[in-house]
Amino acid sequence: MPRALPWPAVVCAVSLLTAGIVAAQDPAATPAPPPAGAGAQQPGRDITVVLPEANQLPIIQLAFPAVPNLSSLPGPAANAGRELDRTLRSDLDRTGIFEILGPEELAVLTVSGDLERDADQYRSLGAAMLLQSEVKLEGDKVVLEGRLIDLASRQTIVGKRYRGTYDLARRIAHTFADEIVLFLTSRRGIALTSIAFVSDRDGSKEIYLMDYDGQDQRRATGHKSISMSPAWSGSGETIAYVSFFGGGPALYLADVATGRKSPLVTEGSLNASPAFSPDGRQVAFARALGANIEIFVCNRDGSGVRRLSNSPGIDTNPAWSPSGQEVAFTSSRAGTPQIYVMDVEGSNVRRVTFEGDYNDGAAWSADGTRIAYATRAERNRFDLAVLDLVTLASQKLTSGLGSNESPSFSPDGRRIAFSSTRAGSSQIFVLDARTGGTIEQLTFQGSNSAPDWSPYVK
Amino acid sequence: MNRRPLAWITVLALTTLVAACAKKTPPPQPDLGSSTVTTPTQPATDVNPQPRPAVDDKKPDPLSGDIAAANDHAYKAGLLGDVYFDFDKSDLTEPSRARLARNAEFLRAHPEFQLSIEGHCDERGTNEYNLALGERRAAAAKDYMVSLGVAATRLRTISYGEERPQCTGSDESCWSLNRRAHFLITGRTNVG
Repeated sequence: MPRALPWPAVVCAVSLLTAGIVAAQDPAATPAPPPAGAGAQQPGRDITVVLPEANQLPIIQLAFPAVPNLSSLPGPAANAGRELDRTLRSDLDRTGIFEILGPEELAVLTVSGDLERDADQYRSLGAAMLLQSEVKLEGDKVVLEGRLIDLASRQTIVGKRYRGTYDLARRIAHTFADEIVLFLTSRRGIALTSIAFVSDRDGSKEIYLMDYDGQDQRRATGHKSISMSPAWSGSGETIAYVSFFGGGPALYLADVATGRKSPLVTEGSLNASPAFSPDGRQVAFARALGANIEIFVCNRDGSGVRRLSNSPGIDTNPAWSPSGQEVAFTSSRAGTPQIYVMDVEGSNVRRVTFEGDYNDGAAWSADGTRIAYATRAERNRFDLAVLDLVTLASQKLTSGLGSNESPSFSPDGRRIAFSSTRAGSSQIFVLDARTGGTIEQLTFQGSNSAPDWSPYVK
Repeated sequence: MNRRPLAWITVLALTTLVAACAKKTPPPQPDLGSSTVTTPTQPATDVNPQPRPAVDDKKPDPLSGDIAAANDHAYKAGLLGDVYFDFDKSDLTEPSRARLARNAEFLRAHPEFQLSIEGHCDERGTNEYNLALGERRAAAAKDYMVSLGVAATRLRTISYGEERPQCTGSDESCWSLNRRAHFLITGRTNVG
C-alpha cells in the first residue's frame, strides 16, 4: 500500500494564502489609486492582440523603470519588494510579448514623475508602454500597485493592486504578469503554472514539482524506489504517476494539495505511462498482456478497466487530446515505434509520423492542432519535432545538441518543456514551441527527466 | 599341503631374502616381553581413540541455503544465465534459446524455485517505450521457458526499462550487456 506522505507544506500554504491575494485584488479591479488622467480599465480593442497560439505576437517595447523607494522599506519588506520586482521582470521577459527597457536603458532619460511630460521621453527610446510599479507595506503584508500604461494615450490599460505576506512576493508578481498577458492577448499567462518531473537528486527517482520558471523545486513523493511518468489531471489537482515501490511498475495518484497518495491500477506485471483525460475522469495507460502491451483506460478510481488498442507488439505512452475525443500513442505495429492517433473508443487508428525509425512521446498542444514528440536522430540521440495535424508536416525544434526527449506543452501552447542531455546529465529545459529558440535550463541538481507541464491553475 | 613342503620353505626363504634386501637396516623391534603384565589383578582400562572431527567431503548444497546464495550459485555454476537482445528487439536469438533451455532444465530439476524474469533495455530508447520493451523481453523469455515445460505460475515478469542498467557506459559494449532478460530466484514453494 502506498504511504500517505506529506507534500511540502508550502503547497498548502500557498493555496490558502492565494485567497488572500485574490481578496486584496478585488478592490483594485479599478486601478487604485487611479492615476491622474487615467480612464477606467476598459479593454481597448486596438490594443488587445488576439492571435491564434501558433502565430507570432508583435513585440511590444516596454519601459519598466526600477521600483521606487524600495530601500526606504524595512529590510524584510525591501527584500520581498526586490524579489517581486525581479520576478515580474523575468515573467514579462518570458512572455515573449515584450522587449523590456529596464533601469539601465532608461538611465539616459531625465524623468520628472509627471506622466504627461515623461511619456514622450519613454517614447523617444521606442517604448510603446510603461510599467509603473510601487511596493508598499500594509501591516505585515506587502502590497504591489502596478500600472501598465499606453504611452500614446497616457492611459492605464491594466491597473492592479495585490497584497500578500512577504513569502508570496513571487506569487504576487506572477499573478500581475498573467493579468497583463491576459489583457494583451486574451489568453492567460502561464506564470502561475507548474511543471512535474522526475529527479534522482535525493538518491532514488522521485516525482518533483517546480514553478514554471524553475523556482521552488520540491519533492512530491518519497517512495525510495523508482517513481516516474508524472501526468497532471486537467484540473491540476492530481498527478498520476508510475512507481515500483510495490514490486513492478504500477499506477498511483498523488493529490497535489494534501500530498495523499492512492493506488490507481496495481494488478498485473506492467501498468505504465498514465495520461489523464482533459476532464480528469479517466486515465489512459499502457498495460501488459503477456508480451503484448496495449493501451487501456480506467476511471479515476481505478474501476472500469477496459482495452482501447488492439495490435500485437507494443502500444504505449498514450496522450489524450485536449478535446477529449482522441488519444495519441506510440505503436510498434509497423515494425518501428511510430505515433498514431485513435478515437477515444479505440477506433479509427491512423499513423501520423512517417519520418524516422523511432518516434515516441506524443504531447498535444492546448488547441489540439499540433503534436510534439521525440524523434531519433542518431543512434544515441533524439530531437524534438512538432507535427501539424492538419498538414501532417513535421518541423524539428532541436538539432545536434544532446538527446532531447519527453516534450510537454505549456497550457498556452507557446513553450515546450523537455529533457535534454545537452549540458551533460539529463536536465529539464524549456524552449519556444514555434521556433525552438529562447532555450532556458530549469534544473541543475541530479539527473532530471519526464517534465509534464500543469494545466492552468483553477 | 604335505606333498610339497620344500617348495613352501623355498618361497618363505625367498620372501625373507627379498625383504632383507629391501630393508637393509630393519628398525629395532620393541621388546614386548619386558613390559608384559604378568599379574593381571586389575581390570583393564579401555583405551579408546580420541574423538576426531568428522570430515565430510560433500559441501552443503548451496541451492538449499538462503535465496541470495542460491542465486549466486545458480549464476556462477551456469545453471541460470541472462539472455541478450538486439536493439529495439524482443526476439529470441538461437543462443538465447539455448540459454533459456538450460535455464528451463534447471527449473525443472528444482521445482521448488519461484523465479522473477527482469526485462532490461539500453539507455538509447525513450524511458516510456523502454519500459514496455523490457516487459516484452521478459515475457518472450517466460513464454519460451513455459513452452519447455516450466509452469507459468512459477515465473513472474518485471520490466525495469532502462532504469537499472547492468553496465553504465555509453557505448555498444555496455548497451549490448544492458539489453537483457535477467533471472532471479525469488523464493521457494513446498513441492511434493
